[in-house]
Amino acid sequence: MDNDVFLPHIARIDAVRDETPDTKTFTLRFREPEDSKAFRFLPGQFVELSVFGCGEAPFCIASSPTRPETFETTIRRTGTLTDALHQLGAGAEVGIRGPFGNGFDVEGARGKDLLFVAGGIGLPPLRSLIRNVLDERDRFRNVTVLYGARTPVDLVYKDELKEWETDTGVEFHITVDNGLPGWTGNVGMVPVLFTKTTLRPESTLAYVCGPPIMIKFVVQDLFMRGFKEESVISTLERMMQCGIGKCNHCAIGHRYVCRDGPVFNYKQIRELVE
Amino acid sequence: MQPHVLTIRKRDVTRWLARLLETREVIAPTLGPCGEIVFSEVRAAEQVVWDFENPLPPPKQFLLPQTDPIVRIQVNGHGAQVEPIHDGRQRVLFNVRPCDVKGIAFLTRMHEMEPADASYLRRAENLTVISLACNTPCQLGFCVCSDSGPFLNSGHDIQLTDLGQKYLAEIGSAKGEGSVADAASLFDPATEDEVAQRKKLEAEAKERFGEETCHFASAMRRVSTRRVDDALWERMSDWCLECGACNFICPTCYCFSVKDRGGDGTWTRCRTWDSCQYAAFTLEASGHNPRAQHGERVKRRFFHKVSAQYYVRDGMTGCVGCGRCVKVCLGTTDMPAVVAAIRKGAWHGQ
Repeated sequence: MDNDVFLPHIARIDAVRDETPDTKTFTLRFREPEDSKAFRFLPGQFVELSVFGCGEAPFCIASSPTRPETFETTIRRTGTLTDALHQLGAGAEVGIRGPFGNGFDVEGARGKDLLFVAGGIGLPPLRSLIRNVLDERDRFRNVTVLYGARTPVDLVYKDELKEWETDTGVEFHITVDNGLPGWTGNVGMVPVLFTKTTLRPESTLAYVCGPPIMIKFVVQDLFMRGFKEESVISTLERMMQCGIGKCNHCAIGHRYVCRDGPVFNYKQIRELVE
Repeated sequence: MQPHVLTIRKRDVTRWLARLLETREVIAPTLGPCGEIVFSEVRAAEQVVWDFENPLPPPKQFLLPQTDPIVRIQVNGHGAQVEPIHDGRQRVLFNVRPCDVKGIAFLTRMHEMEPADASYLRRAENLTVISLACNTPCQLGFCVCSDSGPFLNSGHDIQLTDLGQKYLAEIGSAKGEGSVADAASLFDPATEDEVAQRKKLEAEAKERFGEETCHFASAMRRVSTRRVDDALWERMSDWCLECGACNFICPTCYCFSVKDRGGDGTWTRCRTWDSCQYAAFTLEASGHNPRAQHGERVKRRFFHKVSAQYYVRDGMTGCVGCGRCVKVCLGTTDMPAVVAAIRKGAWHGQ
C-alpha cells in the first residue's frame, strides 16, 4: 500500500452475521483488487476500520490469512462508531488501514502443543490463529480450545463451535457462567475446563484472550499448573488512534501496544511498566 | 554542504524579507491585537518584530496545525472516495528562537521514524527556518539545561545573531542557502572578528543564565528506573488542573486524535491536538481506563519527556527549555518544578 499512512483503503461489506444480540461479524472485501493483493496479515494483527463520518477504531482480524480473498472482523456494539457500523449492511463501504501490530508468531508455534483459552468476545483474535492452525493442521501437535461466555447467548461463532466439537483435529470444551434453560453443557468460569483436558505445560503455548478478570484467573491457574511466563501469550487492548506508534494513546512506558503489540507473552507484559 | 557565514546590514533586512515574500509565505513574530507577540503570516517586512520574548504559542502550529485536515472523504451513490490532502506551501519561519528550532528538529525526527508521516514531512521539507540567537536569556527559559540554546551550533537552516549594526547569518543547510541566494547582493562574507564576536556573545549569554535551573540528568535516572513513588506523582497531580495547556504550548508535544468533520456525505478527516493529561486520552469504549488516576497521567507526561528510554529513541530530552509551561501552568506542574520534585523525592517540601 502507498506511503500515505493515514489514507484508508475502501472495503465493501460482503456479509453481516449476527453472533449475539450486540455482536456482529462483518465479512469485508477490498473494492480494488490491488488493495486486496497488498493486504497480507498475520493472526493477531488488527486494522483501523473507518465508518466515514464517525472516524476510525482498531479491530482485530478474526479470519485466517490462509483464506485471503476476504477477511472478517467481529465487533460488539459499544460506542458511537460501533453503533453506526452495526447499522451498515451488505454492500456498504468502509475504510481500512493496516494490517497493524506484530501478530502471533505462527512459525514459532510450529511443532508445539497449542492451548487456546478464550472468554466471550475474546475469541475473535484467537479464532484467526485457530483457523490458521486448523487449515495447516499437520504442522502442529495437540490443539485444545477452551471457551467460555456468560450465557449460551453470548457465545460467538455458534456454528463453528459445533464444527470444532466434532472435529477430530481439535479438542474442544465449552462452558458458560450461567446456563439457560436447555443448556446441557458445562457451567462455571473458564478455569473449570482445565480439569477436562490434559495440560502439557512443558510443550504447550497457551493463548489467552478475554475480559481482564477472566484473563487474570486463567493466567494464575496456568502458572500454578506449571506454565512458564514465556509460553503464556495474550493480546492487549488500549485506546488507539493512529495504529502506527505516533499518536501516543496506547503507549505503556516507551512501548506501544499498536506497534510493539498487541501480542505479548507474560514475561513481556510483566516488563511493561506505565 | 560547507557551512558558511555571512553578514547583512540591519537596514537591508527589509529588502531581504521583501525578496522572500515574493516567492514564499513568511511567518514571523508580529504584534497581536492585544499587544502580545504571536507567530503569524506577514504581508510586509515591516510587520516582523525583532525585539521580543518568545510568543506563548510555539511555531509548531505551522507544521502540526491544531486541526489538520489529512483526508477528504466523499460518500454518495457511487460509493466512497478518499483522497489525501497535501499542504505544499513553501514557507519561511523567520525570527524563531533556538529552542523552537530544536523543538522542530525533535518533531521531525519523531515523524521520520518508520512508518514515516508523509503529511508532516512534506510540510517540514517545504519549511525554511531562519532563527535569531538569544543574546540575552529570556525570563523563564532554561535552554542551557537541555542543550537547546541560547545559540545553535548545528541543525539550523540560517541562524541570525544581532551584532549591533549588522546581523551575522550562519548558513547551515541547502534550504538556508536557497533563501539567501535570491538576495545575494545584500550579504557580505563575515570577517573573523565578526565570527569571534558571535562566539563571545554566546559565552556571555550562557553566563547570564546563572545556575542551572533544571537538572535533567538526575531526574532522568530516577524516572527511567521507576524510582519515583506513585504517591509523589499523585501529590504533584493535586497541583495540575488538567487543562492541557502545557501540552498545547509545548514545542515538542505532538499527541493527537483523529476525527471526521463535516456531514451529508462529505467529511474531512482531521488530526487534532490531544493531551495526555485528559482522563479521556486513554479511556476505552468499554469504560476501562488504564490511566484513571490523575497521578498516572502526570507520570506519563514526564516519563515521555525525560526518561532515558525516550532519550535513546529521540536523541534528546522532550524538553527544549523554552519555559512556556512555567508561564502557562495554572498550578505548578511545569517542567522545572516537576524535575526538582523528582530529584528531591518531595513536592513542596512534602
